[in-house]
This record gives sequence, C-alpha cells and structure tokens, in this order.
Amino acid sequence: MKPSKPENGAVVDLVDAILRDGVVLQADVIISVADVPLIGLKLRAALAGMDTMTEYGIFEEWDAAHRRRALDDAQRSPPTESGDVPIDAERTDTDDERPNTDPDE
Amino acid sequence: MSEDASEFATGRYLYCVVPVDDETRAGEELARTGVDDEPVYLVVEDGLGAVVHACDALYDAADPDVVRKWLLDHQATIDAAGEHFGTPLPFQFDTILTGDDDRVREWLTEEAGTLAPHLDELADHWEYRVELSRDDAILDEDLVANDEQLAELDGRIESASEGTAHLLETQYEQRLDELRHERRAKRTRELAERLGPHASELRELSPERTTTLDDDDSTVTPQDERERTTQARVSLLAHEADADTIGDELDAVAAEQGVEVRFTGPWPPYTFAPTFDE
Repeated sequence: MKPSKPENGAVVDLVDAILRDGVVLQADVIISVADVPLIGLKLRAALAGMDTMTEYGIFEEWDAAHRRRALDDAQRSPPTESGDVPIDAERTDTDDERPNTDPDE
Repeated sequence: MSEDASEFATGRYLYCVVPVDDETRAGEELARTGVDDEPVYLVVEDGLGAVVHACDALYDAADPDVVRKWLLDHQATIDAAGEHFGTPLPFQFDTILTGDDDRVREWLTEEAGTLAPHLDELADHWEYRVELSRDDAILDEDLVANDEQLAELDGRIESASEGTAHLLETQYEQRLDELRHERRAKRTRELAERLGPHASELRELSPERTTTLDDDDSTVTPQDERERTTQARVSLLAHEADADTIGDELDAVAAEQGVEVRFTGPWPPYTFAPTFDE
C-alpha cells in the first residue's frame, strides 16, 4: 500500500504531534514555551484528551506551567473581557451540538 | 487573556526552518497564506530559511472549527515549504518569536549550529504514521479460540447455577480484557519489529489518539460503521525511498482477517524534531 495524505489527516492523525511535538525552543526567546501556555486557554477547551495526555505523563511539566498560568489569568482578567465574547457567543449559537463530549473511543 | 504575555507589539509566527540555497531570495513569499490567512514569507540567514508570518498575539480560540482550520493551515504551510525546499524542521503550533525579521535572523544565526545538522540529518526523511485496527468480533473470536482458561470458564458457566454463572462471567470478561491488552502490546511490538529495519527512527504511540478536536466526528466514524479497536499505532521517520518497502510490509500485515491498516504520510517530522533546551 502507499501512504496517503487524507485531506483532514493533519487534524485527525497529527493533532497531538502538531501541538506537542515539533521543534521546541528556548524559553527566553519564544513566547509560547514555559512562560505562556503553549496552547491558548480557549484552544485547550476545544481539545478533548488534553487531560489524558497529562495522565500519561507526557504533559506533566507543560501542564504544571499551564495551570499556574491559567490560575494567574483567571485572577487577573475575567473571561468576558477583550476579544473572548464574539468567539464564545458564536460558539453558543452555531456549534452547540456536543460541547465537551468526548468521542467514545 | 492577560495582556502582558499573550499579546506583544511585534512577533513572528514560526512554521518551520528549511535549508535554502544562494538563489533563494529573502522575503520570498510562499504561494499561500498561513494561519488566519496571514501572508507567509521567508526570512533567510546563514543558508537557513525561517517560514513566518507577522503577528501580534497568540492564536487562541475555543471553537473547534476555528482550531481545526488553524491546524490545517499550519500543517499545509509547512507542507508547502517542504515541497519547495525539502524536509523542514516543523515547529509546534503557536510558536512565536517576539520581535521582527531582524530578530528572526539573529535567532537563525544563534541556532545555525544546531539547526543545520538537524536539517542535514532529516534531509529526504519524512514522518509516516501507521495505525492498525481490528474488527472486535473477529479479535474476540480469535482470543477465545486460543485460550484454555476461557474455554474452561465457558464450560463451567454452562453448568453453573445462576449466581455462580454471574461470577464466572465476570471472571470471563476480566480474562478476555487481559488478553485484549496483551494482544495490543504484542501487536505494537510486532509492528515495531517489522517496520523498524526500514525506518531511521520509530516511536510507539498509545493506541488511542490522545487528543482530538472536541467535535471531531471523523475519528469515530470508521469505528461506528463496524466495531473496531485500534491495536497499535507507531510513528516512523523514514527515507522517502523506503516508503514503498514499508507499504509492502503493511500489505502483509493487512492481509490478516479483520485487520485494517491506516498508513499516512509523508508528513513533516514533527515527532522527530529536536528540542532546543537552554
């Protein structure tokens, strides 16, 4: 058989790799490592299984930093501020079928 | 979102680093837009090209459709760069260098000693992913047929009283579960042994996809049609010339009844990209 590149394969097959692997850089140069969540807080909500990754220990270090950050953010700025509203509002209107439902795998 | 950290005056979203030749012009635009439809271009220094777009905030959204589009854009941009320049060093989604193009050039100079050898090593190599699944019914049939303990329990259940039968059935299920787990471990091992010789590197992955987009139906549809369970998942770094041989090996694997093999690639070598520590 030949390897295929399904149209949505990047998301189906590679989502973990795109978010977790790839080149990781020095913290002082790059904004998205250690200092700030690698994956935005809202984006994290769109992903199922991030906690599972933590259980496997893959994400422990990352997650610890992430949680600290999330806590800071929550204290500093309520989620209704800035640009959060349109996206969340839109989501409520149009993308409401199965929020937070984990595909039964 | 906090203003100090997730927003910044000037930043460059990094897709990947590619090897470039003398002919490559700095600022060359790739024939596509990237994440959020931003124009993507090349910053060149020391024989290296960083594929970037200008940005002033992290990319963050809770809408799975938006995230899906971003991830596809991220991946497609790296793919385009890979087709043009050869195997890229792909970055994680949302990797942003704070600063302008000069800062990117500085960074390329600083890291050239690390980046260049990695690019050399990865040249003409790509990531391939293999996922082996099996029809549940056929798998269980197979396990039951080959296990004495299950056969014995089965015999005892038939002649037992209702209460005892229930207890034995629980034991039966436990044993079956144990066998399923063993089989998965064995499958992964076998797959790794079979494909390892044709790959530069092989990484065993957890059979379940650990992360999916919340509303991603595409991952479950095949399993809904017929009850299937993923038995093994591996990621390979292989020379593009070896993809056919790997495909042949997988044909042999897929020949077994009830076995289905998903073979995807060539992808940028995300799984095999280096980590730049302090």
